[in-house]
Amino acid sequence: MYSDTILIIDDDLFNRGILDNLFSPYYAVEEAENGRVGLDKILASPEHYCAILLDVVMPEMDGLEVLRRLNDLGYLERLPVFLITAEAVESTMREAYRLGVMDVISKPIIPYVVLRRVNSVVELFRARKRLGAVVQQQHSQLLDQAQKIIELNQGMLEALSAAIEFRNGESGEHVRRIHDITKFLLTHTPLGEGLSEEDIESISLAAVMHDVGKIAIPDAILNKPGKLTPEEYEVMKTHTIQGEHLLEKIPQLKDHRTYRYACDIARHHHERWDGRGYPDGLKGEEISIWAQIVSLADVYDALSCKRVYKDAFPREKVLQMIRDGECGVFNPALLEYFFSVEGELSKLYDHGEKKSDEKGDKTISEGK
Amino acid sequence: MEMNKRERLLAAGIDLDSALERMMGNEALLERFLNRFLDDPNYGMLAAAVESGDAEGALTASHTLKGVCGNLSMQRLFDLLTRQVAALRAGDFAAAREMMPQISQAYAEVTDAIRG
Repeated sequence: MYSDTILIIDDDLFNRGILDNLFSPYYAVEEAENGRVGLDKILASPEHYCAILLDVVMPEMDGLEVLRRLNDLGYLERLPVFLITAEAVESTMREAYRLGVMDVISKPIIPYVVLRRVNSVVELFRARKRLGAVVQQQHSQLLDQAQKIIELNQGMLEALSAAIEFRNGESGEHVRRIHDITKFLLTHTPLGEGLSEEDIESISLAAVMHDVGKIAIPDAILNKPGKLTPEEYEVMKTHTIQGEHLLEKIPQLKDHRTYRYACDIARHHHERWDGRGYPDGLKGEEISIWAQIVSLADVYDALSCKRVYKDAFPREKVLQMIRDGECGVFNPALLEYFFSVEGELSKLYDHGEKKSDEKGDKTISEGK
Repeated sequence: MEMNKRERLLAAGIDLDSALERMMGNEALLERFLNRFLDDPNYGMLAAAVESGDAEGALTASHTLKGVCGNLSMQRLFDLLTRQVAALRAGDFAAAREMMPQISQAYAEVTDAIRG
C-alpha cells in the first residue's frame, strides 16, 4: 500500500487552511506549524508521507534548513518536497533546487496549478516505487535462472566426462572424486592461496574434464587388460593433447571461466615435477599448480581403486607408493600438503577391502 | 454570502472570486478566514514596530501580513504591503514609514467591510 498523506509545514494558519482545504478531498492531510515540528514528524515516520508542502520563512527552523536536513539524510530520493514561497527570489530558488527540492510554487497559490503539480509528482513517485519493486523481483529471478544455468552447465560437463570414463570400465565416480579432491586441497591447504572461491570452483570443474581426450583412444588400447606395448603407450599418451583439442572445439566453453583451466589440466596432468612427464616435458613450477594437483589426485585415485589392469591397493600401500615416487615425481610441497589432509581424503574409499569403485556414496566432510 | 456584504468587501479591494477560487469555492471557509483576519496580530505588530523604529520587526510583520492578504485576495492592501516589504528589504525604513497612513486606511476599510 502506498502512502497518501501530505504534510503541510507552514507557520501561517491561513496558508495551512487553504492547502488543507485544497488537498483533503484527495489525500489525508497533516499539518506542522514550523520547520522543527515538521522535520520531527517526517523523521518519526518517513514512509508515512507521499509529499511535503514546505513554507520558507518560519520561526524555529526555516524551510531551507528542513530541506537541507532531508537532503543530508537522502530522503529526497523517495519523498517529494514542494517549496511554497511568497518570495520566489532567485537565490532562494537556486539553493532549494540545489538541495533537491521537487518544485517551487509561489504564494498566493493558484489552487488547480498546485493540485496538478503535486498530483503528477506523487503519481510519478508511486510509479517509480512500483517499477523499482518489479525490477528488484525480476533481478532476483534472473539470478535464480543464472544459478540454474550454471548448475546445468556443470551437470553437462560432468556427464560428458563421466560418459568418457564409462568407456574404460569406470563409473562416473572417478571424475566426481577428482573434483572433490582438487577442491578439498585448494580449500583446506595453502595450495589455494591467492585463488578466489570462484577460481576454485572453476578449477575443480575443469579437473572433471582432465581425461576427455580418452574418447579418441581406441578401445583395444584403452581397455587392454595387460601391459601396453611402447607403440600403444605412445597412442595412449596422446589423450592429453587430444583432450585439449576437444575442449578447444566447444565454442560455448571458451567464454566459460573454467576454459583455460580445463585446457591446461587436460594437456598437463601427466607432466612430472622432474621434467620427465608428457606431452611437453614441463619441469617444476612450469607446471601450473592445478595441473599438479589433478595429476596427484588422479594417481591417488587410480591406486586406491580397482582398475581394469589392477586391484585396489590398501591405503598404507598407496601412501607408500606415492611417497617413494613409484607413480611419478611430485612437488615436495604439494606432497606435504596432500599428506597433511589425506586422512580426510581417504574417507572417499573403502581402502583395503578390494572393492571396485562402483559405490558412489562416499563424500569428504566439508568441515573447515 | 449576503449581497450587501459582498458589495462591501469588493469595495474594500477584496477580489472575492479569486479568494473563493483559492478556497475551492468553499464560501464557509472564506468567511471563517475573513473573520479570523480580524484577530490577526500582524497589523498591530507592524504599526508598533514602525512607531518604535524597529525595522526588523516591521519587516517580519509586514511580510507575514502580506502573505495573509495575498491568500484572502485583499488586493489593495496586498499591493501596498508588497511595496513596503520591498522598501524594508532595501533598507529604506523612511519610505516604509511614509506608507503607513495608506496601509492603515486600507486595513481599516477591509476590517470595517468584514465587520459590516
